[in-house]
Amino acid sequence: MVAALALVGGLYAAFAPNVQAEDPTTLSGAAQQGETLYNQSCITCHGRNGQGVPNRGPSLVGVGSAAVEFQVTTGRMPLTQQQSEADRKKPIFSDDQARDIGAYIEALGGGPQLPDGTNFHSDGDIAAGGELFRVNCSSCHAFGMGGGALSSGKYAPSLTEATDRQIYAAMLTGPENMPVFGNNQLTPQEKQDIIAYVRHQTDDQDPGGFGLGHLGPVPEALVIFLVGMVALVFASLWIAGKS
Amino acid sequence: MSTTTEHDDFDVDDRELTRFDLVREGARRDGVEIVHYAPKFPVPGTSREKRVVRTIALLFMITGLAGLGFLISYIWWPYEYKSGFNINKYYTPMLGITLGLTLLSIGLAIITWGKKLLPDEISVQDRHDQIADQTERKLTGATMLNMVDELGVKRRPLLAGAALLGLAPVGALAVAPIVGGLIKDPHHPDVLVHTGWDNKLTNNGQPIRLVRDDLTPIRPEDVSVGGQMTVFPGIAGGNTNDYADSPTLLIHLRDTDADELRANLPHVTDNLHNMYGNLVAYSKICTHAGCPASLFEQQTNILLCPCHQSQFNILDNARPIFGPATRRLPMLPISVDSDGFLIATSDYQVPVGPGFWERP
Repeated sequence: MVAALALVGGLYAAFAPNVQAEDPTTLSGAAQQGETLYNQSCITCHGRNGQGVPNRGPSLVGVGSAAVEFQVTTGRMPLTQQQSEADRKKPIFSDDQARDIGAYIEALGGGPQLPDGTNFHSDGDIAAGGELFRVNCSSCHAFGMGGGALSSGKYAPSLTEATDRQIYAAMLTGPENMPVFGNNQLTPQEKQDIIAYVRHQTDDQDPGGFGLGHLGPVPEALVIFLVGMVALVFASLWIAGKS
Repeated sequence: MSTTTEHDDFDVDDRELTRFDLVREGARRDGVEIVHYAPKFPVPGTSREKRVVRTIALLFMITGLAGLGFLISYIWWPYEYKSGFNINKYYTPMLGITLGLTLLSIGLAIITWGKKLLPDEISVQDRHDQIADQTERKLTGATMLNMVDELGVKRRPLLAGAALLGLAPVGALAVAPIVGGLIKDPHHPDVLVHTGWDNKLTNNGQPIRLVRDDLTPIRPEDVSVGGQMTVFPGIAGGNTNDYADSPTLLIHLRDTDADELRANLPHVTDNLHNMYGNLVAYSKICTHAGCPASLFEQQTNILLCPCHQSQFNILDNARPIFGPATRRLPMLPISVDSDGFLIATSDYQVPVGPGFWERP
């Protein structure tokens, strides 16, 4: 009997730590907060423990906290409906909550993480960033940061509202159809250069009037033609009609 | 014109005539009849007239001030580019506003003057007949024939020959650019079928590395999974316009996507051995009009050309699936050298870029 008790006790002692290791209570405080939020708002589509639900939401194991922070702080997630592309909208969670969810997803399977801080543009070289932007980013996001059309209703969004952390996270994780620019491809310093350039472009004042979405000469000509020419036509009609 | 009547009874030296009578007669001789002519303000110096005069004067003052403002802005307004919000950004608007105001107020002043101060006038002018009469036609014909005769081309055959000989090359000038565009570039006879990746032509037969735009070589792991990189031939000037047909898009596919592409490779026999691992390299030059087809959608695996919205399916040898492009993007055969850097094992097997009439 004693031997049997000892055997059971020994077995328990041997196995109990393993059981505890798998217990979610070992999560950090932030990750626990994140788990609560996840189970309220994300689990419907992304499933228990971020494993995904077929035809509803992809697995989040291994996407990393950077991807979570990008999707949640830009308001793209939680998604309101399934569509060709998630639009930027007012975020539902605060930045801290987004980081908590990110910590939980990070704990599930690792993945890319953002560096600390909210200012990634001060140390960047604007000129170098401009060159990198034109090679890597401008074909989709356009030279004036206005974004542009992709196939089947998808589009590259405008960068005017994106924060430093969001731009960094987008490059690191390649949200939706954006290509991934890992740290082998664009070093952290090069990413900061690009962010500095984007910040400079979006924060700068448009010389000489309205930017018209920074879409280039086509809308400018359209405005001149529709507004300017119509104004001239009516002005000449008015002059002729008065005489 | 021939519509003028006899004016012999009108004596311009008649002292009884007013100046307006002369004006009226002048208009009449030009076929214009002034039927009504009355001043705007029959009693001079009314308050209404003064108000109009003051308005016009004010407009001219605005013209002067705005013109002066233009000159001052042009000379002294700071115009150098400075980042951020500052008055330098208003240099061009200031020029536009002041010059616009100048021209606008000149125009308004002249219009007001003409409409409010000049007399009311109604004049009638008869249209002349549509067909000139027989006499007129004969006279014009004789004038023209006389001119040809006076040139004396018939009497001076040397002049005619010289003029013809001299003008013939001028005609050839007009034809030259049209015909010239149809002639193959004699300086680069192979330009249509070879790119910078042809190591026999550009690198003495040595394999050519794939390099970034700063000419640094690339290891396979440098391209993120689901990422892409624009690469150039690693030869002198490979990243310049001398090899504008050589930019290539290097794409790192996910495992499942790479498997799908590998299964589809036999659709194009040239492409069979062109992938390296999960890496694939397509020409960046769109086969429709030569734009960079570089909008890479990493989830849907589509390459999109921004010019005319041609789309290419990356997982099926860049088959065109939408838009005006009709040919696949050529695939560059890639591998790694002994140092572990990516190389091209040969040139593209089919010509890159838009189709041309001698395309094999």
